[in-house]
Amino acid sequence: MSVNAINRLCREVLRDHVFRAAMKDNPAKAIEPYGLTPDERKALLAGDVAALHHMGVNDFMMGYLARFGSCGLSVPLYNERIRSVPH
Amino acid sequence: MAKIVAAYGLPHTPFYPSQVIEEGPSSPTGQMFARARESLIAAKPDVIVEFDTDHYNTFFFDNFPILAIGIDEKFKGPIDEPRGGMPVYDVPSDPKLAEYLHMHTVRAGYDVASLREFVADHSLMVPLHFVNPDMKIPVIPVFISGHLPPLPPAQRCYDFGREIRKALEVYPEDLRVAIIGTGSFSLEVFGPRIDPGKTDAVPDPEWGHEVCDHIDAGDIKGLIAKATEDRMHAAGNVGGELLNWIAMFAFTEGHKPEFLLRQMEQGHGYGGWRLD
Repeated sequence: MSVNAINRLCREVLRDHVFRAAMKDNPAKAIEPYGLTPDERKALLAGDVAALHHMGVNDFMMGYLARFGSCGLSVPLYNERIRSVPH
Repeated sequence: MAKIVAAYGLPHTPFYPSQVIEEGPSSPTGQMFARARESLIAAKPDVIVEFDTDHYNTFFFDNFPILAIGIDEKFKGPIDEPRGGMPVYDVPSDPKLAEYLHMHTVRAGYDVASLREFVADHSLMVPLHFVNPDMKIPVIPVFISGHLPPLPPAQRCYDFGREIRKALEVYPEDLRVAIIGTGSFSLEVFGPRIDPGKTDAVPDPEWGHEVCDHIDAGDIKGLIAKATEDRMHAAGNVGGELLNWIAMFAFTEGHKPEFLLRQMEQGHGYGGWRLD
């Protein structure tokens, strides 16, 4: 299940500062080893957290992408996108 | 015999350590934690047992126990970079007592995982940062899965707490034990219900007040009846952290709180019980 790979990848953004920098500078290359599906890869690289949420990626883990500026995300951008999920 | 001397319900908001440094000890959060710290110091515990929900740092999605006890000489935390440079502590523990609690609870019918050489995140460490003087009192972490569905039923968590209490009450050493349960009543973190521009929100402060009203009235049975998985999740994606308080209530039965301070704009409260 590559959704779990995305959760793991988010945790690596927190824990591995080299990976954190790579996810900011060249995320397409950084995520290569994670074996994501084309849709997962597309959503992640676009910082489309609403799509990732629908795929089952954990919100708490995705917060690390916003906190550390991965995949073009910032806290305001993350906020706007995750709030677009119907609730 | 071990003696339960105090119990506390406390929040673990990751930015509180830096906020209290910036705003000073007279800030509302500084004062509320100070109240708990003074009470805990006065109770003179030899060991703290803390009920906590790990935030995917001690465990992960590939292996996530519903209940677990940490058994080791010490553990490190927080390992999830809380804001403001909160120190990373080496926390002493009591592996002999932790192993005893694990054996007792498993033999009583609870499927409790054990873990060694573990680390902890801010959820366990923020309360300890404020109330454990110089991090010298040994701490035994007891983990309850309060985020990831399916959650254990509230009654199960209370009964699990009661089993730990029974085990402590016949433990053949003269130890003074303090209990901590940590978590929010209503809180959404990084989920769709966060407030505009923020990383969190308190979706249901009324539920938080309802929880506190039950605590004030000593009506834990009524609270347990209401605290279903759907009800807790309706209060936010980390609303299940209430289960850590519910396990802690197994120790406060029949006692009025020494203090119960509501901080409902943040979705939580601070409660303290002296039991000796």
